[in-house]
Amino acid sequence: MISAGKKKRKRTTEDYIIDSVVWITMILVVILTLYPFYYCVVQAFNNGIDSTLGGVYFFPRVPTLENFTILLSDGSWGNAIVISVSRTIIGTLLGVLVTSILAYALSFEHVLFRGVYYKIYIFTMYFSGGMIPFYVLLKNLQLINSFWVYVIPGMLNVYYMLIMINFFQTIPKSLFESARLDGANDYTIFLKIALPLSKASLATIALFFAVGQWNSWIDSVYYITKDHLRPMSYLMMQIINKSAISSSKMDAQSAAYAASAQQSTTTSLQMAAMVLAVVPILVVYPFLQKYFVKGVMIGAVKE
Amino acid sequence: MLDEMGGGVTKKNSKLKVFKKQIWIQSMILGGLIFLLIFSYVPMAGIIIAFKEYKISSGLEGMFTSKWVGLKWFIEFLSSNMFFVVVRNTLVLSLLKLVLVFPVPIIFAVMLNEMKNGKFKKAVQTASYLPHFLSWIVVSGLCFTMFSSTYGLVNEVLIKLGVITQPLKILTTGSQYWGLAIGTELWKEMGWSAIIFIAAISGIDGTLYEAAQVDGASRMQKIFHITIPSMKGIIIVMFILSLGGLVGGNMEQALLLGNDLNREYSEIINSYVMKVGLSQFRFDYATAVGLMQSVISVTLVMGSNSLSRKISGASLY
Repeated sequence: MISAGKKKRKRTTEDYIIDSVVWITMILVVILTLYPFYYCVVQAFNNGIDSTLGGVYFFPRVPTLENFTILLSDGSWGNAIVISVSRTIIGTLLGVLVTSILAYALSFEHVLFRGVYYKIYIFTMYFSGGMIPFYVLLKNLQLINSFWVYVIPGMLNVYYMLIMINFFQTIPKSLFESARLDGANDYTIFLKIALPLSKASLATIALFFAVGQWNSWIDSVYYITKDHLRPMSYLMMQIINKSAISSSKMDAQSAAYAASAQQSTTTSLQMAAMVLAVVPILVVYPFLQKYFVKGVMIGAVKE
Repeated sequence: MLDEMGGGVTKKNSKLKVFKKQIWIQSMILGGLIFLLIFSYVPMAGIIIAFKEYKISSGLEGMFTSKWVGLKWFIEFLSSNMFFVVVRNTLVLSLLKLVLVFPVPIIFAVMLNEMKNGKFKKAVQTASYLPHFLSWIVVSGLCFTMFSSTYGLVNEVLIKLGVITQPLKILTTGSQYWGLAIGTELWKEMGWSAIIFIAAISGIDGTLYEAAQVDGASRMQKIFHITIPSMKGIIIVMFILSLGGLVGGNMEQALLLGNDLNREYSEIINSYVMKVGLSQFRFDYATAVGLMQSVISVTLVMGSNSLSRKISGASLY
C-alpha cells in the first residue's frame, strides 16, 4: 500500500535519509546477530593453537575437524548427545500429547465445572511452591537422579495449553458432534479428528517444547548427580565456565583435554561444542518459522 | 453440542446426568488435575517449611511434622547483608530492562515497516528471531567469545586498532555486569518481542496512509501520526504486562554470567535461593526467601493484569 503510493512521486531528501538510516540499522542488526555465531563456527573449524595467535575472523586459517573429533571421541559427549536427543523427543511427544488433550477437553464451553477447572489450572501459572519444595517433592517421587525428571514434570504446560484452547475453539464443533452421534468416544475424536485438524498449532507447541528440552540445563545441575544422565547443554556449560574467567588457569580435566589434543585448546573445544548445540536448532528453524509466528500471535494476548 | 453435552439442561439434579454424558471429557481434565495436584499444589503446601526447621532427610511428611520456628528465616534474611544486595540487583535489573529493553522492539518494528517487502526484510526478520531459540548457555558462551579479556574478539580487535592497550575486563568487573545483562537480554529477545508489534502494524488500515499521502504528509509525519498511534493499545498492554514481571529476574542469566568477581552486582533473589537451598542445603531458609519473592511478584502480576483489563480490555487470562 505504502510503496504503491510512493511510486507516483519523486523520492525526496526525506526518503533518502529514512531509507539509509533504516538500511544501515538493519544491516547492523543482522551483523550483530549473526556474526558472533559465525565467528564461533570459524574458530570451531580452525586449529586451536593457531587460533590463540588471533586474527582468524572470516575463514579458518588452518582448517581442521580436530576440535569436533576430540569432543566426540570423549565418551561423555557421545552419551550426552544421546541424552539430549532422547529427552527432546520423549519430552516433546509427551508434552504435546498431554497439553493438547487437556486443551481439547477444556475447549468445550459447556463442560461442567469449566470455570473452576480454569481457575485451578491458571493459578499454577502465577504461583508456585518455589524451587525448594519442588526439589523435596522430586526427591520423594524418586525422580532425583532419574532420566524421567527431565520430561515428566514439564509434560503439562498451561501457557501452551491456553494457546491450544484458543485454536481448538476455532474448529467447528459440529465436526466433533457428528462423530459423537456415531458413538465415538472423545479419545477417539481427539486422536482421529481434532489432532489432524490442528497440525499448524501442534507444530508450534512442539517447537516450543523441543527447544525448551534441547536448551535446558538447570534441571541437570540441580536434580542430577550421575554423569551418564548429563545432557549436552550441561557439558557445554562446564566447558564454557572452564574457559570463561581465565583460560590460563586450567583445571585437571581441561588440562587433560589439552594434553590429549596437543593441537586444541579449551576455547576451541568450547566453540565446537556451541556449534554442535546450535546446529539442530538452525536446521529445523526455517521450516517452522511460519508456524511459531502464528503461535505467538494466538497466545500473546487474549482480547 | 448443547443437547449432546447437556449444556442446555437447567434442572439441578441433572448435573450428574450431564457429568455422565461428558465422562470422557471429564476424565481427560481429571488426569490434568491429578498432575497439577502432584507437581504444583503439593509443592505449594510445602511452602510451610519456610516457617519450620526442616531437614531433607525427614522426607515429605517431615514438612508437616517438623518444628515450627515462626518468622525466624524471614528475619534472618531481612537482617543479613545479602538482603540489600540481592533485592537491589533484582529490582535495578528489572527496572533497567523495562526502561531500556522494552522500547527497542517497538522501534525495530517501526523501522522494519519502513522497508519495502523484499528478501532482505525477510532475512532481517528471520535473523532477528533466531537468538530467542538459543539457550542462555550458548548466549553466555558467545558473550565470553566476544568479551573475554584473554581471548575475546572485542579486546583483540580494539588492541590491534590501538584504541586500548590493556584488555577491558567486561566479564569480571562488577560495575560492568548490569550493562552486560541488559545487552545480552536485548540481543537475545529484541526480534522475538517485536513480533507482536510487527503484527499490530500489519493490521493498520492502508487507506489511512493513502489519505495522509493525498494531504501531503511526510514519511516522518506518517510514522508519528499513523503508525505509532495505531500501536498505542498494544504498547500499553505489553508495558503493563511486563510490569508484572518486575520482581522475577532472569536466573539462568545470573547463574551463567555471574561469577565471584561480579557477584555483588549479579546475584539476584532467584539465583540466591538456588545457591543457599540446593548447594548449602538450607532448604527452610531458601524457601522463605523464595516465598517473599513470589508473594510480591504474584501481587504485581495480578495488579498489572487487572489494570490492563480495565484500561484496554485485554489481559493474560
